[in-house]
Amino acid sequence: MMPVRTGMSLLGAEFAAALHAEWTKLRTLAGTGWLLLGVVAVTLALSLAAVSEVTCRAAGCGQDPAKVSLTGVEFGQALVAVLAVLAISGEYGTGMIRLTFTALPRRLVVLAAKACTVSGLIAASGVLAVAGSLVLGRIFLPGNGFTATNGYSSIVDAATVRAGLGTVGYLVLIGLLALGLATAVREAALAIGFVLALVYLFPLVAQLVTDQDWHRRLLQLGPMTAGLDVQATVNLAAQPLSPGAGLGVMACWAAGGLLLGGLVLAARDA
Amino acid sequence: MDATIEVSGLRKRFGSAVALDGLSFTVTPGQVTGFVGPNGAGKSTTMRVILGLDAPDAGTALVGGQPYRSLRHPLRCLGSLLDAGALQPSRSARNHLLWLAHSQGLGARRVDEVIEQAGLGSAVRRKAGGFSLGMRQRLGVAAALLGDPPILMLDEPFNGMDPEGIVWMRGFLRSLAGQRRAVLVSSHLMSELQDTADHLVVIGRGRVIADTGVADLIAAASGDRITLRTGARTPAMTVLARAGATVAATGPDTVTVSGLTGERISALLAEAGVPVTELVAHRASLEEAYMELTRDAVDFRAAPAEEAQR
Amino acid sequence: MSAGVAAPERSGRSGGRLGFGSLLHAEWTKFRTVRGWVIGLLVAIGVTVLVGLAGPAGTSISCSGPDNQPCQHQGPPTGPDGQPVSDAFYFVHRSLTGNGSITARVTSLTGLYSPRGVSQAGVGTAGMTSGVQPWAKVGVIVKQDTQEGSRYAAVAVTGGHGVRMQYDYTQDMAGLPGSVSASSPRWLRLVRAGDTLTGYDSADGMAWTEIGTATLTGLSSTVQIGLFTASPDYVVIDQSFGGASSAGGPTQATALFDRVALTGTGTGWTGTQLGGTGPAGGSTGGYQQSGGQFTVRGSGDIAPQTDGMGTGRTMQDALVGWFAGLIAVIVVATMFVTGEYRRGLIRTTFAASPRRERVLAAKAIVLGGAGFVVGVVASAIAIPVVGAVETAKGLAVRGADTAEYVQVVVGTGLLVAVVAVLALAVGTLLRRSAGAVTAVILAVVLPYLLAVASVLPAGAAEWLTRLTPAAAFAIQQTVPAYPQVVASYTPANGYFPLPPWAGFAVLCGYTAVALGLAVVALRRRDA
Repeated sequence: MMPVRTGMSLLGAEFAAALHAEWTKLRTLAGTGWLLLGVVAVTLALSLAAVSEVTCRAAGCGQDPAKVSLTGVEFGQALVAVLAVLAISGEYGTGMIRLTFTALPRRLVVLAAKACTVSGLIAASGVLAVAGSLVLGRIFLPGNGFTATNGYSSIVDAATVRAGLGTVGYLVLIGLLALGLATAVREAALAIGFVLALVYLFPLVAQLVTDQDWHRRLLQLGPMTAGLDVQATVNLAAQPLSPGAGLGVMACWAAGGLLLGGLVLAARDA
Repeated sequence: MDATIEVSGLRKRFGSAVALDGLSFTVTPGQVTGFVGPNGAGKSTTMRVILGLDAPDAGTALVGGQPYRSLRHPLRCLGSLLDAGALQPSRSARNHLLWLAHSQGLGARRVDEVIEQAGLGSAVRRKAGGFSLGMRQRLGVAAALLGDPPILMLDEPFNGMDPEGIVWMRGFLRSLAGQRRAVLVSSHLMSELQDTADHLVVIGRGRVIADTGVADLIAAASGDRITLRTGARTPAMTVLARAGATVAATGPDTVTVSGLTGERISALLAEAGVPVTELVAHRASLEEAYMELTRDAVDFRAAPAEEAQR
Repeated sequence: MSAGVAAPERSGRSGGRLGFGSLLHAEWTKFRTVRGWVIGLLVAIGVTVLVGLAGPAGTSISCSGPDNQPCQHQGPPTGPDGQPVSDAFYFVHRSLTGNGSITARVTSLTGLYSPRGVSQAGVGTAGMTSGVQPWAKVGVIVKQDTQEGSRYAAVAVTGGHGVRMQYDYTQDMAGLPGSVSASSPRWLRLVRAGDTLTGYDSADGMAWTEIGTATLTGLSSTVQIGLFTASPDYVVIDQSFGGASSAGGPTQATALFDRVALTGTGTGWTGTQLGGTGPAGGSTGGYQQSGGQFTVRGSGDIAPQTDGMGTGRTMQDALVGWFAGLIAVIVVATMFVTGEYRRGLIRTTFAASPRRERVLAAKAIVLGGAGFVVGVVASAIAIPVVGAVETAKGLAVRGADTAEYVQVVVGTGLLVAVVAVLALAVGTLLRRSAGAVTAVILAVVLPYLLAVASVLPAGAAEWLTRLTPAAAFAIQQTVPAYPQVVASYTPANGYFPLPPWAGFAVLCGYTAVALGLAVVALRRRDA
């Protein structure tokens, strides 16, 4: 029996090797660069459309400049999910996963390494997309009535920074949820179907539910509806969840996805 | 660590189909062990279990005395080639080897070494998806060599190789064994292993049918039959039958004899003045020996009628 | 000739050209023998119904009567065709038995409203600004009785749309344009002859123009005839984050009538407030008569109700589950072709039938057929089941006739079929399931989501539902938009900018382009 400390450091060394391998894998995959570029591009495009359309005519119009600026995330997150799904389903599709598990037989270490590399890449592109969107908002929104007279200060405040960082965190969590589900179901098409259904269905159903409690509950439960509460900078009390709690719900979804993926990974033959 | 693979009592079912039915054998260093059996006998499943990819319902598979999944740097203990096509096509061959090297804490220099060893040459910068089957096999071999492991396990490495490649692969396997490594090579074609393997594990329907040296197997299959070519068939048969041999005419001028050694037959016929043009001790090919062994263990056999036509 | 009869038959069979029928058969066999795909389509049906049920399940009516007694939920009044209507106005009327007519001159139309759309509770009309609503209506009317929702025909001056003749809530015809003033009055006349009512207008009381006729089948012999004033709620459509929200407030209109002339009626006027009340709860409707001049004050509207404003649940609502169902269909349809590419089966397929576009056509027919069946079955189940739950929960359900039901069910079937073919085409183009599934889901679901449940202002939302494949959801719209009713006709409220079949045509256009590109790619590319 190995002493625990040695065991831990061994695991650490193995994790480091797995991380290195997964990073090499992801960076040499043809689609990765394009997808990261795509995340930034589509996010900025939709954000631009939103900030040039939304107007605030008078004080108390209730608009949230951070939310408006970050609209593009609703689009960009789909490509984030694709990136995360492909990080594992591509290996299942070709059978290369067996080679991976031959090289790194402790599968959870592989999953953890994948989660880390995918998160890193998503965070990097997410920072670009989010920062760009906020800058677009800065440029366009004051012209649409988001002025100091209507109650919008022109400086970047702490709440906006929190909204931006929280949105990057949200994108990372969407990636982890997608990675977990893709690990569980293996097939890329199926995994993406599941993730996008989870993300997009809650707001649609909530739209139809007129009972205030249930409406709120659905918004609090859905990964996107809850997670994007982190973007709120004005009128926080009217949000279904506080920014932190919203991101917390999203984190639970991501953790659940990874847990499911990990369980399936450990139990099933590769 | 000792360079062995020990498989004992493996059992596994897929639904109602029994894949492995109490399989046990050992692979020892310094020789090439052929792992043969008809399609569907359980060769690949056994290899997946050895690699910890599939969990057996019962039994164990130990690599160097340890379960594969507890190995620290598994590719430094056991190099394997399961499915040469199992790679992501858009990645270059070199990058494919590179991530694998990184997973074992190895660097790019080791990658270049194995590229050299496997004879991949300049093709490694190309996308692996465009490789021919033979080139993929070489890439797979390079991946197996990456950790310079004392044990190698290759599933059907001759598949898709051209004659030159097959010759290369044979020499390569022999040289690995010569370096005191343990080498397990599966094949469904016995002829590929004829001049390569030292030891054979023959399985059928998930069970070991034979676990024996190649020389012993051939001797056993050959029996003691001798074929005799003579211009005087009838006198020869009479002489030999009288001496207690079992004789059968197999052609207008050939006779098969069993129960007597070659020297004794020569002496008897010379004594009786029967002319002999040729005297050949029958030596079964490995293929024949194998067919003999697996006759009852073939799941998917051509219908007898078709066999008769051939 | 007779000698050659057998030859074409023979060459047709063995000369190498595979009949399209056998190709179709082959693709169908391929499709139905993958259990996951069949399960996927069953899942599509299941989730469509279940998600549809989530709407009524999460909706409840809280209505407590006196002493906390549960009370019956009151839906809006329904018009002659069973559709929910508004029927609120101030009515100065008397009985008319048999034939007759009413003539009146309108010399003034003024109004009050709150510009911010906020009604200030308890202050009546105080704080309101003067201004007439474009669809404020004052004029002459013949109505079955004073019950809300009963049949009527009216000729009225409006605030901004000239003289109109309207009847039975949904019908609207234009008369003289321009607004009314003392210097430019409007003469209105409505003539009853049996079930037929004819409206006239005139600028001077001399030269009369017929606006139109209305046939109110089954109108009773005795009806109410008289003057009316209605002024619909002021609607502020706020193009805000979180979609368009409409806020409104009651308004009031005041009209001056004179030269009122009736034929064939009794005597004596009665003033009745129909439907709701005026601004801020206080009934401010009323009339004064001095000499031949009537001043009639009123609020409300005589109009069909529009969705999102109390029409009750529609078939469209029952089919919201299709967003989940479509995702399942898209996944299956994409994998039907990308799966072949991944496993190299496509080479076998093209070896068996080298004319690749025929393979694509066969696949499209198989998927289109399967998608249609799934669409029809799921919709045919979802609409009555969800409707039953809604009714059981006491929700107002908008009635629909068989033609509408068939349009929605068959239309949804076609929608699902075409989306499946779109997924096939995109899958053929991209050859990778991940990219194809994402692209199609984003194209079909995301625009709708952004338009309906999300962030974009109504203008952008309309363009999204006009230009993207999501326009096809218009085929599920059963509630018509009425130009004579000011409302928030946004996708969020169930209104699509394009008519049903035009919206569907947009999706078909995208699909045709994708199929065309797929054919080009198939011909050019190595399999």
